[in-house]
Amino acid sequence: MARILVADDASFMRQMIREIVEAQGHEVVGEASDGDEVVEEFKRLHPDVVTMDIVMPRRSGIDAVKSIIELDRKACIVMCSALGQESLVKEALAAGARDFIVKPFKPDAVVATLSKVVEKPE
Amino acid sequence: MDLAKYRAIFVEEAAENFAEMGRALLALEKNPGDAEAIDTMFRMAHSVKGMAASLDYTSVAELAHRLEDRMHAVRDRGRVSAGEESALLFRGLEALEAMLEAVKAGVTPPAGDPSLLAALRAPLAAEPAAAPAKPPVAAPAGAANAPAAPRPASVSVPGPSSTVRVQAGVLDRFLSTVGEVILCTSQVRTAATDGRADDGHFEEGLDRMERVVGELQRRALDLRTTPILRIVEPLPRAAREIARRAGKQVEVLLAGAELELDRSILDRLSDPLVHLVRNAVDHGIESPAERAAAGKPEAGRLVIEARREKGHVCIEVRDDGAGIDLDRLRARAVELGMLHPDLAADLTPAQAAALVFRAGLSTAREVTEVSGRGVGMDAVRATVEALGGAVEIETQRGRGTTTRLRVPITAAVQRVLLVSVGGETLALPIAKVERILETPASAVEQSGSDAFTLVDDELVPVLELASLLRLGPPPVDALRVLVLAEVRGDRVALGAARVLGQQQIYVKPVPELLAGVRALAGFTILGDGRPVFLLDPNQVA
Repeated sequence: MARILVADDASFMRQMIREIVEAQGHEVVGEASDGDEVVEEFKRLHPDVVTMDIVMPRRSGIDAVKSIIELDRKACIVMCSALGQESLVKEALAAGARDFIVKPFKPDAVVATLSKVVEKPE
Repeated sequence: MDLAKYRAIFVEEAAENFAEMGRALLALEKNPGDAEAIDTMFRMAHSVKGMAASLDYTSVAELAHRLEDRMHAVRDRGRVSAGEESALLFRGLEALEAMLEAVKAGVTPPAGDPSLLAALRAPLAAEPAAAPAKPPVAAPAGAANAPAAPRPASVSVPGPSSTVRVQAGVLDRFLSTVGEVILCTSQVRTAATDGRADDGHFEEGLDRMERVVGELQRRALDLRTTPILRIVEPLPRAAREIARRAGKQVEVLLAGAELELDRSILDRLSDPLVHLVRNAVDHGIESPAERAAAGKPEAGRLVIEARREKGHVCIEVRDDGAGIDLDRLRARAVELGMLHPDLAADLTPAQAAALVFRAGLSTAREVTEVSGRGVGMDAVRATVEALGGAVEIETQRGRGTTTRLRVPITAAVQRVLLVSVGGETLALPIAKVERILETPASAVEQSGSDAFTLVDDELVPVLELASLLRLGPPPVDALRVLVLAEVRGDRVALGAARVLGQQQIYVKPVPELLAGVRALAGFTILGDGRPVFLLDPNQVA
């Protein structure tokens, strides 16, 4: 089971992801509410997976992806995007994010995406 | 998932977000370019959208989405536009807060105000395409209240242009949407090849694709709209020039010129408008001496005003001149054999005024240099009707004449009623359909070659589409399907075999080979690949 760091500026969303992934037996090792915090938490916790909101204060999700990939090229980051943000998702994928899930979250889709990235470490 | 728990978190968090949005809006009032406040607005709207969508509060999610999109545009632009836009954003926030109150109270949040949603969307979508068309001189909104300043334009109005100027940013957004289509395609392909087609990935991918393609369609349609100003801008000068030659004086007011219309429609309205302006100055507005004698200001007043109506734009050309001499018009129609003398006397003023739209009729005492052989008004009507619009005229002796052109905002997408006629499927513009009647065949009365039926105590002619279009004999069912439609302002019952349903279609122009068939207004390909023709009811009957 994976150790997960959840980054989203809305605690609502963090809670939702936490509930979904914990039901699958994953462990949420930390939460971050902005782009700076997630990078700091990543350094501290070395999680297996980071779920990253694209739109966050201080540092955008995409910039946070770039910073984390700089720290660890193998970091596994899953973007959380809303509809209509596909171009940002593309940018994040280009920056090194592994996959993405779309809000509003469907538990099945979150689980499927997570198991995909956890099972296929690059 | 424990919904109650999430609802509580949502209420709390959204309230915090709204408070922050309120502070950001206040900051933007002081400094419209406050980047941090713009970013906050954007993020908060985004955040609220995500939460609301998760809880299926669709109206909240939609409004937040519109606000987010709007803030995206603001961010690109670097600032909030003065006045209106700021007020609009406040309105948006207030509406969100009202919705949150509903959620708190445990009821479903109300649907968003359509006008608010449209306002949040409209200028944003059109702005980039419209911008190059805006003149560097006085803003059109200001022109509504003050006589238009002379502009260095020639009397002639520019003809239809086949090139479209588009800002690079608009193209970039276009390309990014195309990028999304590519992304979706690959997602669908992955789902299909992974053999996971049955666990929802395929469906999901298709859903996304449909949304993105819808977005692309919206952007493409927006590209087609352009402000009315483009064609009305030269009119004040043209009017003054015509007045000068006729020894008259005229003041021209433009209003609503910032409204946008489909380019293809707008281009074709240019000639009719020039004609209406000429008519007004030439035949409507009197000489300064006549006006003084009638107790009017020496300078005539000509107002060209565009208004938005439901799905339509109404462009009105209004003068305060002499009005049309209806008796003279009646007499002329009788003289030309267009009208029986008895009928002429029975015409209401409105019906008599509408005679000006008949070919070959003009009351101008003499044919002047610039206008008036009556060739114009029937051409005006034909042009507007061909665009799916309508013309009407109102006149009062001594007070002036008002001509209204009503045209659809976009030509390309139309809602239609699909009917089956003689084994063919045909489309009728839904805007022309009042309702569908199922009438016993016995209720259709034959009177010679004409057929009638009683609708709301009114005798309405029945026209069999099959016979009119030579698609075979009309159906002989005991229960007849009649489509009650408006044809040139009158109610007509169109006989069809079956009604197949409503649909939104993208209307393509009639292929050249069939361009001579006036009853065909366009055609489309249905989802199953069948071509379907769109009928113009005005040309059928």
